[in-house]
Amino acid sequence: MFIGFHSMLRTAGLKIGLTEWLALMEALDAGLVEPSLRSFYDVSRALVCRDEGDYDRFDQAFAAYFSEAELPPKLKDKLAEWLSRPIERPALSDEELEKLQSLDLDELRKLFEERMAEQDERHDGGDYWIGSGGKSPFGQGGQHPTGMRVGEGAKGRGSAVAAARARRFRNYRDDRVLDTRALAVAIRRLRRLERKARRMELDIDETVRKTARTDLLEIVERPERRNQARVVLMMDSGGSMEPHTRLVEQFFSAMKKSGGLREVETYYFHNCVYNKVYTDIAQFESKDLDEICRGVPPNTHLFFVGDAWMGPYELLAPYGSLEMATSDKVPGIDRLAQLAAAYPKRVWLNPIPENYWHAETIAQVREVVDMYPMTVAGIVEAVSALLGRGANRDQREPIAMWSNDALH
Amino acid sequence: MSYQSTFQRWNGTESYIADDGLIAAVNVAVALQRPLLVKGEPGTGKTLLAHAIADGLGLPLHTWHVKSTTRAQDGCWVYDAVARLQDSRFGDRDVRDVSQYIKLGPLGEAFSSEKRAVLLIDEIDKADIEFPNDLLHELDAMRFVITETGEEISAKHRPVVIISSNAEKELPDAFLRRCVFHYINFPNEDRLTQICRVHHPDVDDKLLAAALRRFMALRSVKHLRKKPTTSELVDWISGLRLAGIDPEKLSAALPFAGVLLKDESDAAKAKKAGAMESDDDSDDSDGNKGGSGTGWRGWR
Repeated sequence: MFIGFHSMLRTAGLKIGLTEWLALMEALDAGLVEPSLRSFYDVSRALVCRDEGDYDRFDQAFAAYFSEAELPPKLKDKLAEWLSRPIERPALSDEELEKLQSLDLDELRKLFEERMAEQDERHDGGDYWIGSGGKSPFGQGGQHPTGMRVGEGAKGRGSAVAAARARRFRNYRDDRVLDTRALAVAIRRLRRLERKARRMELDIDETVRKTARTDLLEIVERPERRNQARVVLMMDSGGSMEPHTRLVEQFFSAMKKSGGLREVETYYFHNCVYNKVYTDIAQFESKDLDEICRGVPPNTHLFFVGDAWMGPYELLAPYGSLEMATSDKVPGIDRLAQLAAAYPKRVWLNPIPENYWHAETIAQVREVVDMYPMTVAGIVEAVSALLGRGANRDQREPIAMWSNDALH
Repeated sequence: MSYQSTFQRWNGTESYIADDGLIAAVNVAVALQRPLLVKGEPGTGKTLLAHAIADGLGLPLHTWHVKSTTRAQDGCWVYDAVARLQDSRFGDRDVRDVSQYIKLGPLGEAFSSEKRAVLLIDEIDKADIEFPNDLLHELDAMRFVITETGEEISAKHRPVVIISSNAEKELPDAFLRRCVFHYINFPNEDRLTQICRVHHPDVDDKLLAAALRRFMALRSVKHLRKKPTTSELVDWISGLRLAGIDPEKLSAALPFAGVLLKDESDAAKAKKAGAMESDDDSDDSDGNKGGSGTGWRGWR
């Protein structure tokens, strides 16, 4: 019964296994479903979905199965073909990015439908038509921060089943870049439990043993087992990081909540690290880099989080900082090297996709610190590298400095 | 065979208003004897749901408030070793009888209840990330063995298990597979009106309508860090009534805004979006203050 529905659910990307399916059959057998489609919808959704992100996929599959409504196949194929050959995206200025950010999902859908009706050919790199590599909110490989990805699996909205069609839960859909749980599990591997803490705890076993032997209450204490792993976070809060704010926040909260890290210190910088980094970005409170590099305890892991994307002079020139507060004679890249030398265990996490890492400043930063993509897989890899070996690269050789005059 | 005859159907209660999806999920969980996992924004009534189910079905409720330090075993039983040690020296109890130092936790209580019980595991995501996995066996088999005494506690009647989560942490797949899931969507305006009426049966119609309008406008502001919730709305209306605010004036000013918006940058965003009047005395319209959303942007 409903085998077609089952495969439709799987096609929609729901991880539905035998357990869920048998439970649904059991519910049908028990007469839990009233003779109405609405009731079947409610019951099957409760059994098949595992979180609210699944609701949208479920709605699509349900609408597709019970109304066979889909995007007209011809239109879909054509779209897929346009999008299969993405071109390189241009870099956007911060102002443009900000302007693009304002559209929300509903407006976007409406616009998309209107534009799809107007458009009749392949289009790449523009800022209006649907295509790849562009700044238009629609398409693939584009730069629109809140844009809509059009590609395989994009389904139209059917018309038969009202509840499913309305797709009330589409806002929650998350093909998550960063799953906080997987992340917390990964970070937890940094844990290093040692009985070195100053706080003492009651050793019950030993107390009982000694008391039994001497017939006098003998309290035995031992140092508490505590995690000795420390983490220092260096986070970029520059303008170009703004589209990644949510990602960074997720990472940050996973770091704080993974439990068992003895200490998480957080510093902020703006594009690049200079003689001072901020302890509180809003209050302009800062700390000297030299101080942070002094007396680093063992088992300390340094995570840079940033896009490493900046003006070349910001990284390479003396007094490269854009701000007065961190004006520094030493170029940023040498400050990075200073940190790297003080922290043998360090990695850089970059939210920008890996295929852009050949870009100028990113490549230069990579010479100093190993870089990993800011995805679950990337972070797992980074943690493995931190645990596996200490430093896997020697301190880099000084590179030729840009002259200040050449830039202006 | 109709299910009405085989089990008691739950339909919500007078004070708890549930939609069809939620009712279906509850009844599926009760009938199939699987735990019901409820997620939703804070203030959508997840905890109240368990009370309403217990009320509606006439069953006793056992609540297990999960904290960050809670271990899975705490829900089953707690062994008071220190009391026993103390008694062995000074007490008059027979310390050879370990069972008197065993105290059942909420899970154990629900299992050994003579009547079928409702067990609420509240805010399961507060605990350690491995916590739900540690509970899998107990919830599946509905029994556990107290290691100190070897006594097996198995459920006389499988309790109705309600688990609430604020989605602070994601739950493991193996755990999710065993649950019936429901996400409580944020109520729409009609339902909000109903809910407010339950809490304030004699509220002035005009005041309620005006307050709801302001509330919905605030909720629709984009990118708020923390959207105002139902319970805050109910509190806010209490405040408005106590202060005797004129509903007419509500469209020109937002009294007690602090009840609804708890984050400074949210207030700035609301002002920017026109959902809230800017008050000239506290800060200027540029939001040139530390910690505000615009302050962050000022970094570039």
